[in-house]
Amino acid sequence: MRYVLRRLGFFVLTLWAALTLNFFIPRFMPGSPLQALQIRTKNRLSPVALEQMLTSFGFKPNESVGVQYLDYLGHMFSGNWGVSIGATLGEPITKIVAQALPWTLGLVGTATVLSFLLGSMVGVVAGWRRGGALDSILPSVFVVTSALPYFWVGLLLILVFSVWTGGLLPSNFNYDSSLQPEFTAEFIGNVLQHAILPGLTIVITAVGGWVLTMRNNMITTLAEDYIRMGRAKGLSNRKIMYQYAARNAFLPNLSGFAMSLGFVISGAILVEYVFNYPGLGYLLYNAVQNTDYPLMQVLFMLFTVAVLVSVLLCDFATAWLDPRARAKG
Amino acid sequence: MRRSRSLVALVALSAVLAACSAKSTTGTTTDKDASGTDGPHKQGGTVTIANTAGQTWPCQFNPFNPAVNGQAIGFIYETLVHVSVVGNSKETPMLATGYKWSADGKTIVFTIRDGVKWSDGQAFSADDVVFTFNMMKAHPATDLYALWTGAGLQSVTAAGSEVTMTFNQTAKTYFYNLAGLVPIVPKHIFSTGEAAANPETWANTKPIGTGPYTMGTCGPNNIEYLANPTFWQPGKPYIQKVEYPAYLDNAPANNDLASGKAQWGGQFIPNIKAFYLAKSADNHTWSPPVLNVGLFPNLDPSHPITSKLEVRQAIAAALDRTQIALIGEGGQQPAANQTGVVVPTFDKYFDQAALTASGYDKPDVEKAKTLLASAGYSPAKPLKLTVITITGYTDWDASLAVIKQQLQPIGIDLTVDDLAQQTFVGKLFTGNFDLAYYAEPNSGPSPYYELRQLLHSKLTAPIGKNAISNYERYNNPEADKLLDDYATADEAGQVEIVKKLSAIMLRDVPVIPTTESVDWFQYNTSDILGWPTPENPYAEPSPYKVPDNEQVLLHLYSKAAQK
Repeated sequence: MRYVLRRLGFFVLTLWAALTLNFFIPRFMPGSPLQALQIRTKNRLSPVALEQMLTSFGFKPNESVGVQYLDYLGHMFSGNWGVSIGATLGEPITKIVAQALPWTLGLVGTATVLSFLLGSMVGVVAGWRRGGALDSILPSVFVVTSALPYFWVGLLLILVFSVWTGGLLPSNFNYDSSLQPEFTAEFIGNVLQHAILPGLTIVITAVGGWVLTMRNNMITTLAEDYIRMGRAKGLSNRKIMYQYAARNAFLPNLSGFAMSLGFVISGAILVEYVFNYPGLGYLLYNAVQNTDYPLMQVLFMLFTVAVLVSVLLCDFATAWLDPRARAKG
Repeated sequence: MRRSRSLVALVALSAVLAACSAKSTTGTTTDKDASGTDGPHKQGGTVTIANTAGQTWPCQFNPFNPAVNGQAIGFIYETLVHVSVVGNSKETPMLATGYKWSADGKTIVFTIRDGVKWSDGQAFSADDVVFTFNMMKAHPATDLYALWTGAGLQSVTAAGSEVTMTFNQTAKTYFYNLAGLVPIVPKHIFSTGEAAANPETWANTKPIGTGPYTMGTCGPNNIEYLANPTFWQPGKPYIQKVEYPAYLDNAPANNDLASGKAQWGGQFIPNIKAFYLAKSADNHTWSPPVLNVGLFPNLDPSHPITSKLEVRQAIAAALDRTQIALIGEGGQQPAANQTGVVVPTFDKYFDQAALTASGYDKPDVEKAKTLLASAGYSPAKPLKLTVITITGYTDWDASLAVIKQQLQPIGIDLTVDDLAQQTFVGKLFTGNFDLAYYAEPNSGPSPYYELRQLLHSKLTAPIGKNAISNYERYNNPEADKLLDDYATADEAGQVEIVKKLSAIMLRDVPVIPTTESVDWFQYNTSDILGWPTPENPYAEPSPYKVPDNEQVLLHLYSKAAQK
């Protein structure tokens, strides 16, 4: 119980620190929402009118920072997130986020789960047949792919599968702009088609890490006494591989996976940017570009909370699975 | 339109290189018949617009919200008069059939058009006009052109179908803003509920206007406009549907233009010849220049180098602007000239004789060397200067690379400092730079509008404070007087004033124009005709230019629908 309470306390403290940083760091950035708006409106409109317009939408640059900060903390918890003062001036933040969130969860979430499963499976096999053909080729390949930058892989895929094939696979957006969102085979097919290249980009760059850790865990586990014991008992290789070795080797990877799920929500900003995928990452890029404080605050808050919550859940899961963690705590 | 950004920099840069090796000298190809024949035409057809919005559509149509009014004005809301920036500031009466200035230019009387209906069936009247302007007074945030504060508007009243506006000063130069840019909104909608309380923030998701189109369906990815059956010009608009997809980036918009899926573009297309024009004989482009891009030297005495006339003269003399336009802009923007008058758009105001006499009409390296030597610098003892620009504006980077090369032989070592847009804007506004590469963003129907932004001391500010548009901090009572006199001058006098201002540009070199920025415009003639062309420049052609888009939409018709 003490362990759980300590974890919870730590969670609250980290959350507060992160929220505070989220409030102040954007305000230290150069530029202001007013300047960004002036540039976007081609300097054609009166700066006084624009400032008043921003004030009407809730931008109060002249209020003391302390008051603004307290308001901000209150609003983050009450869900009263206000309206955008950037490129989507006047649109409620809740609506903007609700529009983008499903796309990020769908694309990045699925790609993360896929690359985790795929990577772990390959890792198990490679670790089991240590020194075999698979083991001598794949890990070195994956060392390379996991070091490749997201956007570079994305650009390469666009070039090969979209440009060279004359647009076989769509290279941008989440679905054709001629379609309206509805539950038809055509629309869903279109969405999946648009997800192939960005999804593939994430899988290619993320799978390597899982393969390598899984393989190494597997090799360590295979050296354990109980494996030898299993062999001595004459168990089938299949049973030893999956139920004795892989199952135990999987545990450290699983906690890593819980963490990476927390990062799903922040999206792969560069992937969404390269593919014009209208998810949260793309939204964050636009918000920063236009000094859209309310939108930035909410996005940072969501990213922070997602990571912290998954870390917390991971801590609880560890405590539940591993008595040693409880005892030490 | 949005510029290509950093991640597509490589693509853009290689395209620029390809373009300059192809030695393209002009980006303009036009179809002589693209303007089509004069109406009336049969109704029918669809036009798809390709113009990078950089965001999904919020589906709000408040014409006073600057983030969304590009999707409201021109389609749904109209102005009193249309004033074209291109084509000798031609005026087209819209909601006002005519107007008359008083002799002193302090009072204007508009005659409001009869028989116009709002798209919900209610009658439009002079009351709506009066309401719109008075709302801008009551809610200063909607007074986007500062008519009540800056232009000195005193009162707006209606008598029958006439609307009288009085000013406390000569207001003729504000005509473009007040008649040509202010959208007229329905009193019966904007005087009730949320719209009346907060007209500046109201979402207006079901817009009611007098314009040629109504909002049909709107989703995050696309807006579909439908022809307004009660539009006041009988038989118009010919095109029955306008599709406006939300493009997040240039690449998909450019692809749709190249494939013909979109017919009306306002895009910067790198290597446009190969990428767009060569794809189909029906693809055309005409991008009329409207503003100058150039070097803004900091003239404040606290910047001793750039405030020295000889240094600026040397730079202006050394630059080969044709090369900058050809290599830096891939021939898609024409070269500018030191008079500050954009040609050929404003040929009427251009003083070729003065430009030739000044010697800035062609690069003169020897003269530049002499000038720089008199300031104490030479190739052996080079002057180190830094120019700031915006990162991701790849064409400007390419132009600056050419400029750097051209300044090297005369003894200037130029460093290009690519800054994030916010940082750049902060430095530019507060005067924290030696040289800045920039373009005034706001064009008008004569060179006066740009020159006023560049030169009027009212639009500058001390170093450290935000300047409105005179970022180089030019301060000359002579120029101020000329600019102030422009309002009361007759047409010949206005041409004379612009020529005098050009003489000041040549003498003081307050800004060094390099290329001319254009309204990006691409169009496809396989089905749609009626486009603006150099022969028939009835409006600024880019789809992002409101309310000019209405003029274009009213001219367009479908060939297929005529059969």
